[in-house]
Amino acid sequence: MAALLDRRIPSGAALVLPALFLVAAFLLAPLALIFRYSLDVYDPAKLMLGVFSAKNYLQAVVDPFYQQVLWTTAKIAGLSTVIVMLLSFPVAYYISRMPSERMRSVLIILTVLPLLLGNAVRSAAWMVVMGTKGVANALMLSVGLIAEPMKILYTPTAVVIALVSVLLPFAIITLQSVMDSIPTSLEEAGQSLGHSPLRTVLNVVLPLSMPGVVAAGAICFALAMNAYATPVLIGGPKMQMMGPVVYEQIVKVSNWPFGSTLACMLMLVTLVLTIVSTRFLSRRYF
Amino acid sequence: MPTFTLGRLLFTTLVWSIIAFVVAPLLVIIWASFFADRILTFPPSGYTVDFFLRAWALNDFSSGFLMSVQVGVCATLGSLLLGVPAALAIERFTFRGAEIARQVLLSPMYVPAIVAGAAVYIYFVQFEILTEIQLAATFPGLVIAHTLVALPWTMRLVCASLMTANASSEEAARSLGANALQTFFLVTLPIIRPGIIAAAMFSFIASFSDLEKSLFLVGPGKTTLPIAIVNYLEWNLDSTIAAVATVQILIIAVALLISDRFVKLGKAF
Repeated sequence: MAALLDRRIPSGAALVLPALFLVAAFLLAPLALIFRYSLDVYDPAKLMLGVFSAKNYLQAVVDPFYQQVLWTTAKIAGLSTVIVMLLSFPVAYYISRMPSERMRSVLIILTVLPLLLGNAVRSAAWMVVMGTKGVANALMLSVGLIAEPMKILYTPTAVVIALVSVLLPFAIITLQSVMDSIPTSLEEAGQSLGHSPLRTVLNVVLPLSMPGVVAAGAICFALAMNAYATPVLIGGPKMQMMGPVVYEQIVKVSNWPFGSTLACMLMLVTLVLTIVSTRFLSRRYF
Repeated sequence: MPTFTLGRLLFTTLVWSIIAFVVAPLLVIIWASFFADRILTFPPSGYTVDFFLRAWALNDFSSGFLMSVQVGVCATLGSLLLGVPAALAIERFTFRGAEIARQVLLSPMYVPAIVAGAAVYIYFVQFEILTEIQLAATFPGLVIAHTLVALPWTMRLVCASLMTANASSEEAARSLGANALQTFFLVTLPIIRPGIIAAAMFSFIASFSDLEKSLFLVGPGKTTLPIAIVNYLEWNLDSTIAAVATVQILIIAVALLISDRFVKLGKAF
């Protein structure tokens, strides 16, 4: 590998530089800019005063409205994450221990496809299912479970249901790859010692896949905190979460300093959770 | 050895119910796109393909679709042009800061789309104030933003492909007198071709399905398909939107199945 190119160092750098430039100029620089603006103060006439102050951050934590937004977001993200972790574990285990290679690849495609469709289409699908005239209501009416259409759409429950389905594929894929690296011989050992399959999973597979569970949980929580389409379309106008509020502050209200502050807070939470997640994923036991 | 017990049956049922929970809404919306009724009702009174034509007749959807395809193709080309050489350098050459470069090039994947969108929007507007060059709500602006969405996918898939491919054939080519360019085009490129095709597919999918980042960067008459879907959904829910969603599902499914022929999908994440 050593003699691949004669002038290794300059060529290597030259091949990376264009891509690095793109990321630096159109992602890192914009992030630095909004961090700067988050410390500025909004002025209705001049847009910004050009000062340095922690006023916005203070307002985001003290103002009852934004406290409520933050609390709603954290609550919904937390609840969705817990449900996702409970549901993704058995599915990931099933895929990981699937003997047929063909079936396994079908299962992975079924999991990955929804993940890649984008949040617009997935929200649209849930709206068709959960609307007053949607499939869920039609089904429950026809079997006589309810007498009148139930209001499902535009409730916090609907947002949690839709978020869980958005996040499940991420968690399943992450957990499945961690479980793939746990040798099946350990489960066989557990079984041969007389444990039931369920006991073996709880005693052997669960502890060994804990790094994956934490990593996937952190990623799911971060994604849920940043959700935009689900709260807007499934939650309706009364559902105030961080993502939609950031959009509103920056594009509709043009309060760049405060919008930037909320965006930086989301960035910070996501950054911490991503670091936690990668740390745990590299701490696999196998 | 698997034994067929009640426990196993319950477990399998549970797993398939969870998968159905994720997949079923998509099947429902595909089904709903063929309903004959003007107002969405279950079960439908009949079936038709009229709503696909009606969706195409709406300018928001037809121009949004064309815009998404154009932006997707440009972003894919951009991310391959920038990403393949970068991946090659990081995997094959030794230079200071290679690991940092890798992290930086993967970083767009970890920045929340809503934050990145907000930041790029503000940056574009300030750039316009300074230089009078408009980027927000323009085609080039969208392509730049989408290239960033696609780049980490290209990096991941091409790096993975280079990692598994043995570098010894490249060394052999070099020692037999091929120069760096000949080695790349005649040896390395054919070896990593599956990785590059998968990278192209995933880049296109990432761009085509992006909503949150584009949200800040579209303008009147310059809307992408996912944005057109969200705008329509704010006021309507009918078979027209189901037809549009069905088309998007179809396009992404085809791209996914193509890449599945070239790389193991589980490895892409």
